[in-house]
Amino acid sequence: MAEPIGPISRLTKELTKLPGIGPKSADRLAHFLLAGDRSVATQLAEALYHAVSSVRACRKCGNYSEGELCPICLDPKRDPSLICVVETPRDIDAIERVGFFKGRYHVLGGRLAPLEGIGPDKLSYSSLVDRVHQEQIKEIILATSPTLEGDTTALFAANLLKGAGVTLSRLARGVPTGSSLELANTQMLLDALEGRQKFT
Amino acid sequence: MSLEKATGLIIRTTDWSESSRIATFFTKEFGKIRVLAKGGRRIKSNFEVALDLLSVCSIVWLRKPQGGLEILTEARSEERFNGLRSNLPNLYAAYYLAELVNEGLQDYDPHEQLYTHTLEGLRLLNAGGDPIGVICWYEMLWLTELGYRPRLNECGSCGQAILRASGLNYSAGAGGVICPSCAPSIKDKRPLSAEGWRALVELEKGHVSLTYAQRHELKSVLEQTVCVVLGKRPRLADYIVA
Repeated sequence: MAEPIGPISRLTKELTKLPGIGPKSADRLAHFLLAGDRSVATQLAEALYHAVSSVRACRKCGNYSEGELCPICLDPKRDPSLICVVETPRDIDAIERVGFFKGRYHVLGGRLAPLEGIGPDKLSYSSLVDRVHQEQIKEIILATSPTLEGDTTALFAANLLKGAGVTLSRLARGVPTGSSLELANTQMLLDALEGRQKFT
Repeated sequence: MSLEKATGLIIRTTDWSESSRIATFFTKEFGKIRVLAKGGRRIKSNFEVALDLLSVCSIVWLRKPQGGLEILTEARSEERFNGLRSNLPNLYAAYYLAELVNEGLQDYDPHEQLYTHTLEGLRLLNAGGDPIGVICWYEMLWLTELGYRPRLNECGSCGQAILRASGLNYSAGAGGVICPSCAPSIKDKRPLSAEGWRALVELEKGHVSLTYAQRHELKSVLEQTVCVVLGKRPRLADYIVA
């Protein structure tokens, strides 16, 4: 069987490095980009180059930014006394989609996973502590994943910030809205019962 | 391919794709197994939210006759150690137990007693037990189960019975306590106090409450032995403070 020519082979190889893209999908994408209107490929390449060369981490919160500070840190309408700690910039997008949170963020850059060799030194805990000491922060919401590693990440932050004079809170967990109790699993029900709130 | 059922503790998880996850279970019936949970990262999946680290689950999977990654078809959460989520030293100790199991055992090599002791250790940690005491107790069991129990009543080098607790040394390489006459020829030896030796002997029989000095000594003696057995230092060892 004939191998694809050099540039196509290279393109396919690079595409397989993307998450969720296997050799077959990469081959399909490569042929799509080269067939017909090539402006799609050119615009994609330009957008990719622009993003890679201009996007960097916000100096303050670690979110993606084109300048030194991200739009959220520059926004004067945002409550500077409220910080939401997340694992990745992608989590910020998820919370922003809700449109409820009006504070600012702090991106840790991952989650504490000692079994995988990811220790506290690989996450931006120190800049979080610096922010707490330098800014007038009243509350920190620890919005890490609802997994054991996410809880470890939050617990480590909570221990670091103990005695810093800020209120620490964690995202609630439990039964999703619109579902039914009979379909909820035991852990969801347990979380919901433990985190129950006063009604009226 | 055959369908297998077991109850197991999740000792490692790795994200496989946007929605799937590879989970390593320590099962009572089959020992360590690794399975691919397709869609296991989704909130709504066949596995409920069971696939979290250090959860005990009843599972069903497709076993492949020629090896390779096996497919998880069902998982139901049986036991969780939620007390660990608010106690960092005990959480690290629990991770350490999971690392020892993962690093020390081969796939499909059942160790029923070690499984029972692992859950016992996790329950103790979950209830707020002393992490160093649990770790030392578990390390001794783990070494015994793997066939590396330290020799404490006879010299690890010459085999002479240990009659006096004074002037002893310990060598992980020699496999236990070293008598005063063999000590000069052993390179990796370290002094072992009479108190430390007695605590190690007691530890063989079960849980013991350790004094501050014993905690330090036993932790370093047993950790040294674990390192020799594994051929490397466990990742979690740096997180455990005596």
